[in-house]
Amino acid sequence: MSNNTTRTTLLGIPQRPFRRSNTDAVLGGVCSGVAIRLGVRVQNVRVLFSLFTLFFGGGVVLYMALWLVVPRWGDEGSILQRVLRQRSTLRSLAASAGLLVLVLFILNLAYHRLTTALILSALLLSLGALAIWRGSDKEELRHLQGVLNAAPVVSAASARGWKALSLRVIPGVILIVVGLQVLSRIGGIWGGAIPAFGGGAALLVGILVLLAPWWLTNVRDLSQERRARIRSEERASLAAHVHDSVLQTLTLIERASDDSAEVIRLARSQERALRDWLFAPNHATLNTHELTFNQELRQVQSDVERDYKIRVELVIVGDCAADESLHALVGAAREAAVNAAKWSGVASVSIYGEVEPSQISLYVRDTGVGFDPADVDLSRQGIAHSIRERVRAHDGTVEIVSQPGKGTEVRLALPRARATS
Amino acid sequence: MSQPRVFLVDDHELIRAGLRAELRGSVDLVGEADEVAAAIEMILERTPSVVLLDVHMPDGGGLAVLQAVQKHSIPVRFLALSVSDAPQDVISVVRAGARGYVTKNISGPELVDAIYRVDAGDVVFSPRLAGFVLDAFVNGGDEGLQAAAIDPELDQLTPREQQVLRLIARGYAYKEIAGELEISGKTVESHVSSVLRKLQLSNRYQLAHWASNRHLV
Repeated sequence: MSNNTTRTTLLGIPQRPFRRSNTDAVLGGVCSGVAIRLGVRVQNVRVLFSLFTLFFGGGVVLYMALWLVVPRWGDEGSILQRVLRQRSTLRSLAASAGLLVLVLFILNLAYHRLTTALILSALLLSLGALAIWRGSDKEELRHLQGVLNAAPVVSAASARGWKALSLRVIPGVILIVVGLQVLSRIGGIWGGAIPAFGGGAALLVGILVLLAPWWLTNVRDLSQERRARIRSEERASLAAHVHDSVLQTLTLIERASDDSAEVIRLARSQERALRDWLFAPNHATLNTHELTFNQELRQVQSDVERDYKIRVELVIVGDCAADESLHALVGAAREAAVNAAKWSGVASVSIYGEVEPSQISLYVRDTGVGFDPADVDLSRQGIAHSIRERVRAHDGTVEIVSQPGKGTEVRLALPRARATS
Repeated sequence: MSQPRVFLVDDHELIRAGLRAELRGSVDLVGEADEVAAAIEMILERTPSVVLLDVHMPDGGGLAVLQAVQKHSIPVRFLALSVSDAPQDVISVVRAGARGYVTKNISGPELVDAIYRVDAGDVVFSPRLAGFVLDAFVNGGDEGLQAAAIDPELDQLTPREQQVLRLIARGYAYKEIAGELEISGKTVESHVSSVLRKLQLSNRYQLAHWASNRHLV
């Protein structure tokens, strides 16, 4: 029977022997032990013990006594038996008891009627706690250490050592005692607002000193939790993005595997989308009417690559906000690039944009078939005309350089408005 | 003219296979490695003339290989290869001593041409790298920072160098630049080499910033 590692309460069925619980323990597992022994709910036992504590700490003293004499489930003897067997522990306990009685005696000389039931309970409890601390086996000690670390006053400090703890606890307790003393005498000897204020302040500071580390740890845990949550949200949004874009494109590529031009187009547009998403400093602010020069040109690049199967080599130096005239310039560059895609017969077109202090330049160049500017057919002339018109309307300049067999370059320039720089 | 002895360093098997297929017959492939430590050891052993170096690898990437091999002063030139055209990657390997930089979507013939040029001691500037350099030296983003140029010889580009870089950024080949500016091909080469030297030695804020600010992606 005692080979079982755990036992649980069976309501209405009392179980022998009486042992402290080793699994369901807040402190020593006494309440669960009682509940198992009597076959009642452990909560009821705990409430009863708590209520009984109101009578001069009787519940706590009883709890401590049972803790000492009742063996833990699975253990050989009780804590008391173990303590009695160890001479050294016994000696130190006796010494502590003597010291406590002495302190009590001296205090009793100073303040009368101090030896109340409450003080006696406290004395017994301290001795009991000392005995439990010395007599528990390793496993139970570890459990108690865990309880202590979670306790408000002790927690954060015990990690930093007992010295730090005493440095904090002793002044804290003194402040609280002084504060209570002052408050309790208001209206008696002194009276008035100043002592009340002082007493209250001392009380407050004492409580703060005692509880601050515990509160700080909680706050820190909370912010760590928040950070972890943000991280996991980011991961989720990354996963969602990869799913929406990359996986979709891969499926499209699989389906279009016969059409190599289409595969290239898909791969390229996906690459650019992913790169923009990864490297763009603020992809959240991509609303269409607030684009910069840079972003507008990238838009041109991706549109032209998508609609005409041509690679657009884009190089941009500098950046600035896009205004009405810059829209016209970029629009002209787009037409030039589309023109190159349709007529040049080569696989790539270069766009170079530079924001200079005094002007903005754009070059659209291909190394394709080219044409003789003096001898162009009407469709191309129309395009050249519209490019020219657009840019000249904003005081820009347009130069189209081409030679049959040597490619075409459209050179666009726009003076920068003085007001903005 | 003998073929350049080329060594591949890339941690992706697929990329290496692709490069092998593209380079076979045009160059003399003397070996390949997929990690930093092995790459350093084999490069020192086989002394290739050109190392095609992936920028992004575990354990320090191409930069680690470059720095380790350069301690041994053997006559090997590095051509950096990257999927990313983020300036911080490119600038850091070029400043560490790479003679050029190309992206992985470069075509086979273009790559072979770049290898031959690096082997001959020339510098390979892609349009994008030219753009970065112009950005750092000429515009520099914030105009207030331009005053921070400490050494005018190193920290500024001559008007001619700027012209050459702008033409590279516009997609001109060296020969076309020579034609456009009415100078010889050799002169174009020397301008680009001079820009590379400045890129490697200058202390301009933007360059140092890019080189130190390597993000992991």
